[in-house]
Amino acid sequence: MAEDNILSVRGLHVDFETNDGVVHAVKGIDIDVKPGETVAIVGESGSGKSQTMMAMMGLLASNGRARGSARYRDKELIGLPERQLNHVRGEKITMIFQEPMTSLDPLYRIGRQIAEPLIHHRGMSRSQARARVIELLKLVGIPDPERRIDAYPHEMSGGQRQRVMIAMALANDPDMLIADEPTTALDVTIQAQILKLLAELQRKLGMAIVFITHDLGIVRRFADRVYVMRSGEVVESGETESLFASPRHSYTKMLLSAEPTGRKEPPVPDAPILLEGHNVEVVFRAGGGFFGGAELELRAVDRISLALRKGQTIGIVGESGSGKSTLGRALLRLLPSEGAIRFEARDISNADKGEMRPLRKELQLVFQDPFGSLSPRLTVGQVVTEGLLVHEPSLGARERDRRAIEALKEVGLDPVMRNRYPHEFSGGQRQRIAIARAMILKPKVVVLDEPTSALDRSVQKQIVELLRDLQKAHGLSYLFISHDLAVVRAMADYLVVMKQGKIVEEGPTEEIFDNPSHSYTQTLMAAAVDQTRFRQLDLHTG
Amino acid sequence: MTDINPAMTETQIPTASAAAGRSLWQDAWLRLRRNKAAVTSAFVLLFIALAGVFGPWFSPHPYDRIYPQYVRAPASLEAYPKEDAIVPAFESAVARARIEMGETEVDGSTVRVPISDGEPLDPRIVRYVDRSDLFSNARIEELSDDGRSGVLAADVSRIRFIFGTDANGRDLLSRILIGIRISLAIGVLASVMALLLGVTYGAIAGYLGGRIDNVMMRVVDILYSLPFIFFVILLVVFFGRNFVLIFIAIGCTEWLDMARIVRGQTLTLKRQEFVQAAEALGVNNAGILKRHIIPNTLGPVVVFVTLLVPKAILLESLLSFLGLGVQEPLTSLGLLISEGASNMRGAAWLLIYPAVTLTAILFALNFLGDGLRDALDPKDR
Repeated sequence: MAEDNILSVRGLHVDFETNDGVVHAVKGIDIDVKPGETVAIVGESGSGKSQTMMAMMGLLASNGRARGSARYRDKELIGLPERQLNHVRGEKITMIFQEPMTSLDPLYRIGRQIAEPLIHHRGMSRSQARARVIELLKLVGIPDPERRIDAYPHEMSGGQRQRVMIAMALANDPDMLIADEPTTALDVTIQAQILKLLAELQRKLGMAIVFITHDLGIVRRFADRVYVMRSGEVVESGETESLFASPRHSYTKMLLSAEPTGRKEPPVPDAPILLEGHNVEVVFRAGGGFFGGAELELRAVDRISLALRKGQTIGIVGESGSGKSTLGRALLRLLPSEGAIRFEARDISNADKGEMRPLRKELQLVFQDPFGSLSPRLTVGQVVTEGLLVHEPSLGARERDRRAIEALKEVGLDPVMRNRYPHEFSGGQRQRIAIARAMILKPKVVVLDEPTSALDRSVQKQIVELLRDLQKAHGLSYLFISHDLAVVRAMADYLVVMKQGKIVEEGPTEEIFDNPSHSYTQTLMAAAVDQTRFRQLDLHTG
Repeated sequence: MTDINPAMTETQIPTASAAAGRSLWQDAWLRLRRNKAAVTSAFVLLFIALAGVFGPWFSPHPYDRIYPQYVRAPASLEAYPKEDAIVPAFESAVARARIEMGETEVDGSTVRVPISDGEPLDPRIVRYVDRSDLFSNARIEELSDDGRSGVLAADVSRIRFIFGTDANGRDLLSRILIGIRISLAIGVLASVMALLLGVTYGAIAGYLGGRIDNVMMRVVDILYSLPFIFFVILLVVFFGRNFVLIFIAIGCTEWLDMARIVRGQTLTLKRQEFVQAAEALGVNNAGILKRHIIPNTLGPVVVFVTLLVPKAILLESLLSFLGLGVQEPLTSLGLLISEGASNMRGAAWLLIYPAVTLTAILFALNFLGDGLRDALDPKDR
C-alpha cells in the first residue's frame, strides 16, 4: 500500500532558530498522498501547514531546519542537494501560492514567464514553447490566449493571474500540485471559478493535488482526504465525508462549528437616525497633469444614500473594488466627497479637519489588517489611550491608565499586557486592541472595515461575538463592511449590496439572504453558500 | 497521530508571550549583540573616542609643543635622543676640552665618561658639555686626590615619540589624539545637525504632501545643485575660518540626503493603517508626526547616521586637505594625512599613523552601520 504513495512524509520536524530559542513549527507529522487524489491540509495560521510543504520543497527560511523523511516516489527530498532537488521541484512537484499579485515578475510578459521552465527543463525551442504556452493558457481558461500571451502581469485581474500561475505550475506535466491557499486573496465568485478550474484540470491531467487551506468550505467541496493540523501536529485525518460527518477530535469539531452564528435583532423602528448620507459621491482623478494626457476619472462611490439608525448595523457587501471601503471613509469625512452627510441632524458635508475633530470621538473606525493598524513602536497602552490625549486632554497619566485597563478588559484582554508591543500579539488579540482603541472614546457610530477578514475562522467568531456584545452594552451603531457573507449575516440587520460604486440591492438581511432579487446578489450568494462538490468521489482510482 | 489536546484558547504567539514588553528596539539590540563584527567595531570606536576625549590630557607632550632638535624623528619605542646619537655628541663636546677620554657610558638619563689630563682638571670644562642642547647639569664626579682624573657626568633629557614627530618637531601621537577629537566631533555634530534638520524637514514634507511637499522638495533640489566646495568657500569668505563653520557647512549639505530618505519613508508610512487610525481618532498633524511617523522612520535613519558620520569625517578631511578646514596648530585627521602625504618619501610614519587611525574609525563605523541595518531589518523577523 505504501508503495502506491506518490509522496509519503514520515516524522517530519521543522525547527526555526529565533532570538527566543528554537521554535518547533512542525512536530513530527506523517502525510501520504496517492497519485491523482486531492489531499487537503487544514489548519489555522501558525499551525505549520505551509512550513511542511516548504520544508519538502527546500524553501524554508534561512533559520529553518527540517528533520525526518519526505519521499517523492523513491527519492528522499529532505537533505537532497539543490541541483537534484531542482529536478523534482518545478518539474514533478509544482506549487501555486496565495498571492497572485506578487508571485509573478512584473517586468516580464506572462508568456515568457511560463515558457522559461519549458525551455529550461525540457529543452524546447522558443517557438515550441510558445505553442505550448498558448495551449496551457487555453487549458486554464484565459480568453484569447494568442493575444494575452504577450500581456504583462499588471494588465490582468487577480483571478487571471492565479490562472497564469496555475498554467506555469502545469507547464511540465507535474505529478503533484501543491496549492498553498490559492484562493484566499480572491473574491468569492472568482474563488469558485478557480476551484472549479483546479477540479477540471485534475480530472483531465490526473495529477495529485495537495491543498493547503484554512477554509473548511473549500475542503468539503474539493478534497478526498483531509489532514487537520494544529500547532505543528496532525490532530486528525481521514476521508473528507467521514471526517465532516463525525469529527472525533475536539479541535476539528471546533473548526467545523466556527462559522459565526446568531443573528442581530433589528433596532426599534423609530430609533433616531445618527449618520445619514445623501447622494454621496467619491471621484478619484488621475492624469491630466502638466504634460497633458486625458484626465482619468474613477467614480468609486456613485450617488449612494443610506441612513444609519441608533443601534442598527448596516452590512455593506461587495467584491474588492466595489467602493465599499471608500464609502465608509467618505461617511466619516476621511475622504473628500460630494453630496450631503449628516451626523445627528448636523450637516458635516463641508466640515474641515478642525470642525471634525470634536466629532471624531463619536465616529470611530476599525480596520481590516490588525498588523498594519497598530503602530509598531507604541505599547498597547499608548495605542489604546491615544484618542484620550486628543479628546480628553485634561486626564492625567494615572487616569488614562485606568481607562486603558477598563477598555482592555472590556474587549477580553488581560490588562497586564498593556506595556507590551503589538508585535507580541496574535492577529485576534491585535484586532481586540484596535477595537479597544475605538471603544475607549465611547463612540456612537463605528465603521468596521472588514474587521474579521484577516483572522482565522475560530477567532472571527469570537470577534463577531465581542462586537455584538459591545453593541448591546453601549447601544452602538455599526457600519459593517465585508465581503464575507457568513459574517455579515451574523452581524447586520440591514444589508446593502454594492457593485462598481452603486447599490444594486438593499433591505433587511434575512430577506436578502432568503430571496435575493438582483442577479449579482444571487451570484454572490451562490458562490459563498454552495456546499455541493464539483466532482464525484469515484473519479480517481486509488 | 494522537495527542493530548490542551484547552481551546485563543491562538497565541508561543514564544513572544514569555518575554514581557520587548520593543522592536530591544529586539534589534539583541540581534546587534550577536553580530561579532558590529560589537568589535563598537568597542574599537569606543576606545578611539575615549582616546580622543581623554588622551590629550594624559599625553606627555602638548599637541602644539615644538621640539626643534627632533624634527621628523622617526617613530620608535626607544627614547630620544638615541644612545648611538648621545655618545658621539657627548664625545665631540668633551673632545673640545682637549683631555683624555675613556669609554662613554649611558645609564638611563645620565652620561658618564672617565677623563684624565696631564695637569689638574679645570672645572670649567663642563661648560663645553653644557653648551650642547642635549646635555644639562654637567659635573665632574669622583675627582682623584691629585685632581688629574675623574668622571665627567651630564644629564640627558630623553623623550619618547612613539609615533615620531612631524616636520615642525611636534609629537605625532599627541597630534593624532587631538585630530581624533576634532574629526569625531565634526562627524558627530554634523550628523546630529543633518539628523535634526533632515528628519523634521523630510517628515513634514512627506506627511503634508501635495503642493507643500512639492515646494519643499524643490528647495532641496536647488540646494543639492549648489556645489559643496563653492558653498564652503562662500561661508569661509563671509565668516572667516572657524571650527563651528565646518560642521555647519557639512551638516548643511548632508541633511538633504536625510530629508529625502525620511520623506520617502514617510510617504509609505502615511498610507499605513495606523496613521489613518490616528487621523480617524482626530489626532492633529503634529501628534501624528511625533508619535507615529518619526519613531517609525528612525530605523533606517539610525543606519544612515552611522554611515553619515564617516562621510562627514571624510568631507572634513577633504576641506582640511584643501586648506579650508581647521587651522594650525589645531589639527584633524584629514589635515594630518595631508601633511603626511607631502612628507611621504622621507617620513612615511607621518602618513601611516593618521591614515591607519582614520581607516580604523571608518571601518568601525561602517561595520557598525551594517550591523545596525541587519539588526533593524524587519525582513529578518
